[in-house]
Amino acid sequence: MKTGKLISLLILAVILALLPFVVKSPYLMGIFIMAVVNAILGMTFSIIFSTGSITLGAAGFYVTGAYCSAVLTTVLGLSFWLALPLAAIVTGIIALIVGLIIVRSSVLAFLFLTVVYNLTIISLIGHTELLGGWAGITNIPRPESIPIPFHAPIQFLGKIPYYYLVLFLLLLTIVVFYALYSSRIGRGWRAIKLNPQLAASLGINVFRYRLLAFVVACIFAGLAGSFYASYSTALVPEGFGVFESVFIQIYAILGGLNSYIAGPIVGAFILTWMPELLRISKEIEPIIDGFILVILVVFLPGGILSLPERASRLWTPVVKIARRIRSW
Amino acid sequence: MTATLLVQVLVNGLQRGMIFVLVASGLVLILGVAKIFNFAHGEFYMLGAYAAFFACCIAGLNYALGLILAVLAIALLGGLTYTAVFRHIRSNILLGAAATMGLSLIFRQGALVLFGSLQKGIPSVFPGLITVAGISLPVERLVIIMLTLLIMSALYFVLMKTKLGKSIRAVMADEEAASLQGIDSNLIYLITVAIGCSLAGLAGAIMAPVYAIFPDMGEAMLMIVLLVIIVGGLESLNGAVIAGLAAGLLLSFGYQFIGVYNEIVVFLIVAAFLLFRPWGLFGHPHEAGW
Repeated sequence: MKTGKLISLLILAVILALLPFVVKSPYLMGIFIMAVVNAILGMTFSIIFSTGSITLGAAGFYVTGAYCSAVLTTVLGLSFWLALPLAAIVTGIIALIVGLIIVRSSVLAFLFLTVVYNLTIISLIGHTELLGGWAGITNIPRPESIPIPFHAPIQFLGKIPYYYLVLFLLLLTIVVFYALYSSRIGRGWRAIKLNPQLAASLGINVFRYRLLAFVVACIFAGLAGSFYASYSTALVPEGFGVFESVFIQIYAILGGLNSYIAGPIVGAFILTWMPELLRISKEIEPIIDGFILVILVVFLPGGILSLPERASRLWTPVVKIARRIRSW
Repeated sequence: MTATLLVQVLVNGLQRGMIFVLVASGLVLILGVAKIFNFAHGEFYMLGAYAAFFACCIAGLNYALGLILAVLAIALLGGLTYTAVFRHIRSNILLGAAATMGLSLIFRQGALVLFGSLQKGIPSVFPGLITVAGISLPVERLVIIMLTLLIMSALYFVLMKTKLGKSIRAVMADEEAASLQGIDSNLIYLITVAIGCSLAGLAGAIMAPVYAIFPDMGEAMLMIVLLVIIVGGLESLNGAVIAGLAAGLLLSFGYQFIGVYNEIVVFLIVAAFLLFRPWGLFGHPHEAGW
């Protein structure tokens, strides 16, 4: 990692870590928490995109992780700290089984089948009384407090402990994804994205590499879901439909599809804050998001982080900052 | 399990299947010719139903006229969508598909805001039962089967026998060669998208007197149709017809024997099928990257 990258990453980390000392309103903190969750989800979209496929089922695995965690904590009475990794593992296993079937198909059929998975899992949860049906599952316990020597234990009552927990999950996601992208596996994914046939002829098992990206993406979506279940303490299946997957896709595309880590973070923060800043009603919001998606794909397929190449020299300072962010 | 019930479930399944065939063939046409995957297809189905509702119940026209007006309205909307959006996203099919998801969002939420979330309905046009050899069947479903058969025959006739159909098939096979023969491929794309969308709208208008009309009705339809075209082989019209009918029958018999989980069972069957034939019934292995 270059020093420039490292410095900008550290600056961002410090800003994010000090945020609770500046932002006092729990409501605004809640939006920041959701922005970070969305950033993780956006990155799971990007990791699949880095193999040249597009998924529209990210919310399907998000909800899988959330319900796994909810069942483990409410029905089996496990601790959240045990349920968090377990939910991610179970989501990963489900993703492996689903992936064995759907990753084999062409990229277009894969796209449709992820949609089908998302619709199916929602319908399955809605029809299953054990999982609360369409009414959803409530009273999911909050994470148990963490005892610290010589200090009061950290209790998950306000928003701030949740914020640091989700920030830790974001960091974990960034580290794992960065390690993958810069390893042999990441180079394999890049080769597959450029030309699957050529990659296969060089001895890369296209199916296995794509499957790996898919499973890793779903594990982290499940992790985010498990966090969300304990954070919101209530789940309703209808909140995780294909539209949610579309939003997740917009986070990644809005930020920039060419930067797999910074893009989704930028996109998620902008899109999560947009309805708040513009004071748009919940009814109109999806329409505006839809327009953003269409306009992005038609006019700015590279996303916001591709603006440096497009902007004129008048923008030099802005461009410099954007370059710095994008170079991660 | 009596023979009567069996025939009733069969007719029900055929009717549902024919509707899937109509919607799926529109999707296949757009995908095959214009190389656009239209995630907003379910929304054209929904808007077709609303158009029929407005023509029949608000404007007070008779149903046949309402049906024609609904088809024309959806064809116009499809043409406009092509000119405004689809035209620009043809270069990248995956990102293009992502953009049509945005369209789906706009149409569905727009319908919710403009028409409200309350379910609407058209009074049944062909009420009553007909008794054939001791088995009573709803007239409505038989009429729908007849009507959709007629429409599909007309579609095949247009595609196979007319000059327009030949041009469409030529562009589908090879755009460059077709252009060299003097076919305006942009016009063909526009026409195909309009036809494809109006097929979905027509299906919606036909189903309007049978099912409730509400803004989210396109989603369930899209899910089945996605499975249908994947099993059929993405760009094959014949595949869509066979898979569409199979889906209708499976869902109908599944509902009779298994209940509300029938869609999940269909999904499992499709998954098992894809394990052995990831490229679908009429697809080609090389198109799937194999």
